[in-house]
Amino acid sequence: MTGRFARKHWPLPLRSARVLVGGGIVLLVLLCAVFAPLIAPYDPNAQDLLNTLAPPAWMEGGNPDFLLGTDNLGQDTLSRLIYGARVAMVVAIVAALGAMLLGTTLALLAGYFGGVVDWLISRAVDLWMSFPPVVLSLILIVGFGVGLSNVILAIVLVDWTRFCRVVRSEVLVVRRHDYIDAARLAGFSHLRTLVREVLPAVAPLIITLVSLEMAIALIVEAILSFVGMSVEANIPAWGVMIADARKYMYQTVWGLVLPILAIVVTVIGFNLLGDGLRRTLDPKLLQRETVAA
Amino acid sequence: MLVAENLTVTAELGEGRAEVLRDISFDLEAGKLLGVVGESGAGKSMIGRLVAGMLPHGFAVSAGSLRFGGEDLASLPRRRRQALLGKDITFIPQHPLTSLNPVRSIGTLFDEHLRRLGVSGGAERRGRAIGHLDDVHLPDPAELLRRYPHQLSGGMCQRVLIAMAFAGEPKLIIADEPTTALDVVTQAHIMGVIGEMRARHATALMFITHDLRLAAQICDEIIVMYAGEIVERGPARAVFAAPRHPYTASLELANPNLTGAPRKLLSLPEHMPGLSAYAGLSGCRFAPRCPVADPACAGHKTALREAEPGRWVRAAGGCLGADLAAREGLAHALGGQTPDGTDLPLLRVEALSKTYRGRRALLGGRRGVVDAVRDVSFELRPGEFVGIVGESGSGKSTVARLLMGLETPTTGRIEIDGTDVTGPFSRHASLRVGAIQMIFQDPQSALNPRRRVGRLVTQPLESGRQPMRWPDRLERARELLGHAGLPADMLERYPSQLSGGQRQRVNIARALSTAPKVLVADEIVSGLDVSVQAQILNLLLRLREASDIALLFISHDLAVVRYLCSRVLVMHKGDVVEAGATETVFSQPQHPYTKTLLAAVPPDDVTVYWRPAEVADI
Repeated sequence: MTGRFARKHWPLPLRSARVLVGGGIVLLVLLCAVFAPLIAPYDPNAQDLLNTLAPPAWMEGGNPDFLLGTDNLGQDTLSRLIYGARVAMVVAIVAALGAMLLGTTLALLAGYFGGVVDWLISRAVDLWMSFPPVVLSLILIVGFGVGLSNVILAIVLVDWTRFCRVVRSEVLVVRRHDYIDAARLAGFSHLRTLVREVLPAVAPLIITLVSLEMAIALIVEAILSFVGMSVEANIPAWGVMIADARKYMYQTVWGLVLPILAIVVTVIGFNLLGDGLRRTLDPKLLQRETVAA
Repeated sequence: MLVAENLTVTAELGEGRAEVLRDISFDLEAGKLLGVVGESGAGKSMIGRLVAGMLPHGFAVSAGSLRFGGEDLASLPRRRRQALLGKDITFIPQHPLTSLNPVRSIGTLFDEHLRRLGVSGGAERRGRAIGHLDDVHLPDPAELLRRYPHQLSGGMCQRVLIAMAFAGEPKLIIADEPTTALDVVTQAHIMGVIGEMRARHATALMFITHDLRLAAQICDEIIVMYAGEIVERGPARAVFAAPRHPYTASLELANPNLTGAPRKLLSLPEHMPGLSAYAGLSGCRFAPRCPVADPACAGHKTALREAEPGRWVRAAGGCLGADLAAREGLAHALGGQTPDGTDLPLLRVEALSKTYRGRRALLGGRRGVVDAVRDVSFELRPGEFVGIVGESGSGKSTVARLLMGLETPTTGRIEIDGTDVTGPFSRHASLRVGAIQMIFQDPQSALNPRRRVGRLVTQPLESGRQPMRWPDRLERARELLGHAGLPADMLERYPSQLSGGQRQRVNIARALSTAPKVLVADEIVSGLDVSVQAQILNLLLRLREASDIALLFISHDLAVVRYLCSRVLVMHKGDVVEAGATETVFSQPQHPYTKTLLAAVPPDDVTVYWRPAEVADI
């Protein structure tokens, strides 16, 4: 039954150029991450000490065996970039969804029930946000210890407040609509009203926030792996690649530029996707755009 | 003063062009009051926007002219227009609260305005401001200058704006629905002030309103607009007393009366066409809804012509002065159904009270206590329609929320069909869902924009212990749309694709979905146009004929309550000040508040002169 209603709506997001470009980028990175062993030409940790610090193949002195060149240990940059997408995607998706789940749940409760519940949750957010995020994440990492899952946990624990605050204010706006009261009068339980009436109304906002959060999580992970607080040394990550290349940037700048480019492009992809989805999912914006057209 | 000659405004729409205003001609002489009457979408505000130079993007004058003292307003250079606006031409807006900058005090706002008018000297401006505010009967103007807009009521803000509008001795004032957002008593006061100021300054005033009765009482001449055209123009009282054009006649017949014998309301089909539909209306634009249209009307190009001296009508011919009331059989008395008293009450309310406690100040201090509802008792029997009237803030909406269980009463008792349901909603959820439903005021807000009509109207059937299966719901949805007078092809639409009247019907259909015995309707027609309001009111009457449904009808509009309800409760500041049979209460009011409310309504009889300035303060 829902399928019949949803189908008409379905192709709309795909008509947006933002969604197509952003989604394409994200999908590409995601495919790289999932099928890394199939795509990557070499083992990311395989060293070829005869070909160290090689520039990309099309540059002067480039080696056609290594399409994007090699690092100081002669490891293939392309393969490391492809494997690096795994860490980036895992952190981006898991951390953003984790922060979303925690933040949104509390925001829904606070905004919908109001009163004491709202007061408690809002004060908790205020208190939490009064810690500087960098300090907080470093304290958490020191406390939990180094490692990918701890990085994810740290990001979730630092960034849930962002979701909570923004989503709560939107829930307050939605709550004021009579259709929430109407749902109660239709016999909907609080949970059902929240899930069926409130949540869909704030979903476009959540989607935007998640896509932005994915970009943020990706950057945070890159920073933490840059300073060596994230993944173990034998796992290729974009932050680690930047850190390694930094020492040799005067010999070749490619080792630095390529992972940075990977991060930038992926972040732009997430942002475009989020923005495009918000525009196509939000009926208010949708109407405005069709009128303008 | 202001002369329009064959004025035509054309809009570029995505799919073509539409003549938003077609062939508009009128003249407003110095010191006169011209009423522009019509429902929403008639294009009446477009004239005001044209004067202000604020036509929406893509709209432009394509023929004719609108001249102010000899200058064509459409082609006025920006600088010249700026010099005119605020000095020679001023505006009184529809929403007083949003028209004043909230971060400036009244004194600062007035000072800025007077400075723009060229009054020099701070003390001089202050003295003038106090004088102007005193003119509009605002108490203690010196103190008022220190206040901010949000500290004033809507009526007071509107008085401030009126004082500003008259401050520069303008030649022309354009008032766009200046009282629509206000209560009846405040409306009467504001109209009194406008009348007094206008008489003193001999200013020409263009009064844009949807209220034909109000316009008939206060204007010298009126033009009645429909879908961008003037359908009738003439002396206000004459037009109202004996309308020539069928639209003017049906507008009046769609409006319930507060005095005289009850008659059925004329409800025109459909609603005013939107801009995109104009292209398809080559002839009389009213023809598709006209009760006396013949096939020739649609193709007939019409022109405004003088039917009798001073009376101009746009019509093909045959329809002028048709007796719609007789034709549509509206004369028969309605007879508000009076239950025989043997039925047990469906809804019984005993000594219901609700007290809100204000927020405690940061450091101790006492909490303010507000009695929103005090000691309200009444009964509702099968088939009975009971009205609650009162101004905003009288507690009538709180009564509705208490009845529905959306709020818990402080004291008192609510019984539905003999069962005590006082207390939170969830305790008696299934009983309540099946027995009592509410129609909300604003369908825009009450309908989830993400649900299609089919899922909206059957919403109460999708929860509970045995949710209805989709095919059954679809079946029920069709049935409900039929009850509400909507075509079945609406099932797949979203609320944003419906007109205001259609949305309100969906709202009603949803309330009917569980076949409740009691409906609570909170101001359900206040946002609707007169002709759509008549459709909804007649729909409610039809529902009563078809079933034994009882209705608690909450409204600020006394005439509407009189049309529907056999009994009425008058609420004022949380108290029921008067209750009884509608006819008795309205013809022989006992309480001073009821008397004031009745006096504040413009009379339906033009031979009775309305004196808004004499309406008592409450």
